[in-house]
Amino acid sequence: MATPHKRRGPDLTFGVFLAATGATIAVVFGLSAVAYLAGGWLEQFGREAKWLQLTGLHHLVMILVLMLAFVMVLATLLTLAERKWSAKMQNRIGPNRARLPLPFLKNRDLAGIPHIVTDVLKLLTKEDFVPAAASRWLFNLAPILAFGPVFALFAVVPAGPTVKVLGNDIMMAASNPDFGLLYLLGIASLAVYGTSLAGWASNNKFALLGGIRASSQMISYEVSLGLSLVGMMIVFATVKLAGPDGMSDMQSAYFAGWSTHLGNFDIGVPKWGFLLQPAGFILFFASAFAETKRAPFDAPEGESEIIGYYVEYSGMKFGLFMVAEFVEVVVLAGVLIAIFFGGPYLPFGNEWLRNLPLLRDQQWIYGAALATVFWLKVVLLCFLQLAIRWTFPRFRYDQIQTLGWKILLPLGLVNLFVTGALVLYDPSHKALAVVGLLEILVVVALTMTPSPSQKKKAEHGDGHGHAAALPASTH
Amino acid sequence: MDHSHHDEKPAKPDYDVRERAFLPELIKGLAISTTHFIRNMFGVRDTNAEVVDRVGTSLVNTVQYPEEKPIYPEGYRGLHRLVPREDGKPRCVACYMCATICPAQCIYIEAGEYDSADSSTESRVIEKYPTQFVIDELRCIVCGLCVDACPKDAIRMDTYTHTPAEYTRQGFVYDIPRLLRGPPVSHPSDPWFKRGSSQEPHHVHKEAHTRIGEGYQVRPRIEVDTSHPVAVTKWTFPTSPRD
Repeated sequence: MATPHKRRGPDLTFGVFLAATGATIAVVFGLSAVAYLAGGWLEQFGREAKWLQLTGLHHLVMILVLMLAFVMVLATLLTLAERKWSAKMQNRIGPNRARLPLPFLKNRDLAGIPHIVTDVLKLLTKEDFVPAAASRWLFNLAPILAFGPVFALFAVVPAGPTVKVLGNDIMMAASNPDFGLLYLLGIASLAVYGTSLAGWASNNKFALLGGIRASSQMISYEVSLGLSLVGMMIVFATVKLAGPDGMSDMQSAYFAGWSTHLGNFDIGVPKWGFLLQPAGFILFFASAFAETKRAPFDAPEGESEIIGYYVEYSGMKFGLFMVAEFVEVVVLAGVLIAIFFGGPYLPFGNEWLRNLPLLRDQQWIYGAALATVFWLKVVLLCFLQLAIRWTFPRFRYDQIQTLGWKILLPLGLVNLFVTGALVLYDPSHKALAVVGLLEILVVVALTMTPSPSQKKKAEHGDGHGHAAALPASTH
Repeated sequence: MDHSHHDEKPAKPDYDVRERAFLPELIKGLAISTTHFIRNMFGVRDTNAEVVDRVGTSLVNTVQYPEEKPIYPEGYRGLHRLVPREDGKPRCVACYMCATICPAQCIYIEAGEYDSADSSTESRVIEKYPTQFVIDELRCIVCGLCVDACPKDAIRMDTYTHTPAEYTRQGFVYDIPRLLRGPPVSHPSDPWFKRGSSQEPHHVHKEAHTRIGEGYQVRPRIEVDTSHPVAVTKWTFPTSPRD
């Protein structure tokens, strides 16, 4: 009766992984290239048409491509990735029951991707319920107010370098205001209206509680959110994000004297914000994470206690809140990359890439290649955010406020003064980079060495030693 | 002063700087999550039902039911079957033993009588047969007493399947056509192998033993694999009782 051993191959074989990654990169590259070329053509058209005489029309293409194609598609995929990746982190399989009844698919689960369709269909066909005592107008307005600002945040994030196409400077950003970072902070704080209005208009005590939690949390973290970026503003002396004089493009440079050439290939220490401002990065990441209201800062949602500010929402209105959350993840990843991880640029070899014969003549290829690098970085940071969300338990409400006011805010002030002093002491930012590297080294050293309590556990056993008793070969 | 011990605060857990700073522990936690993610994403998933024999790198233990089925343990009491004879008729002689012992009273039998005028072998050695044999699987409590009670080895629960889902209650009521399945079983001591008279029997004569179960019973081959730190006993059964 005993059946022979069955062994399934990996759910994702290396070949399939490579093929999928390659196809994704090709699509991203192609779309970016199309955006650059179409932007260049439209710019040319706007400049030369006698009745128009306008510059900057290429931003229209970027709005379409960046906001609608990249951000929205990535956010939609993240709704599935959240479920599937979290399953993989928790030794589960995740959604795989939705199948497409096409013969050549052979009933494959397609990594759960049909679930995106089923989820959307379900949200669209559910009853659009409005509680009788709800404030109808505000109730309908709240999801829009929650989604709109989050979506608009990406407008100032550059997703690629500025290159010449048909003789025009084409910028891979939906807009490039001089007040880039201030726009970011200002619009981010508008998102609080959506959540607090949702809580209020539902006429439900739990929803109101969630809305109040959300607004207090978001307002508290706004302070450290802004403060943690001031360091970067000091270093680069600008609040612009996109464009040749923006924070993103400045990070492609090396520290003066800390670079060399290997033949044509340039290598060195890049001026990435992560090296200049590691403390600022951690503070900004923590504060922005609190702004997204995702675990471990999801007290406003708090599904085990109060369900949260969207408890009364159903159907696509709830879907809008949910998509807003994932758009926020994508936008946060984009903002982090633009400010702290070198924007679309590689850590080294940018000069070499730009001066390749083909890429020097056809700059849109160079632009599309770096735009692909940008979106790969975005996916990595999205994964990091999801890993954080599925690793850490929710903070208690008082812990959230303590972290915001008593830890992040003073640390932000200290970081601000230290940064200011170091920039004054050494305008080439090398002193700042050395201090930043030291900070990173301290964290790495602390992470690599076991704490005394862990040593004690390893010596005496922690009472859950069954796994250790079993030999490794049995697993 | 003298009641200072009342004011004593409970001892704080002695957190290390790593735990107080939160960041190193946070990174360690992320490393654990990511390790699990990579192992489960790219690792080989092992669907072997024997947990000690699993060697796959994936940590996912889920059995994807309709596509993969767990192996039930030896001796699993599954769905009943009426054991057929070599000629396809049930071994049951409608003695009502199972129906009598059944604590859930889920077995219903109607007995038919062999015509004594008939000169066939059966009617000389068996008096009755079931015209109706019905088990209501919804009432069954899967205790296995019917199997123990049967004097003729005519009802078994060795199908290694559980009762499948049905759309109606009536669907769970199993009658003879649905119950009569599986490999036929015969014992040397079966009455139809006995000679009824001095006449030569018309069936193939088989050596008669008095001990039930000798000769045809399915026996597992037992191997003890001591190469594992925990000795693993493997039971292999021939796939058909005739092997």
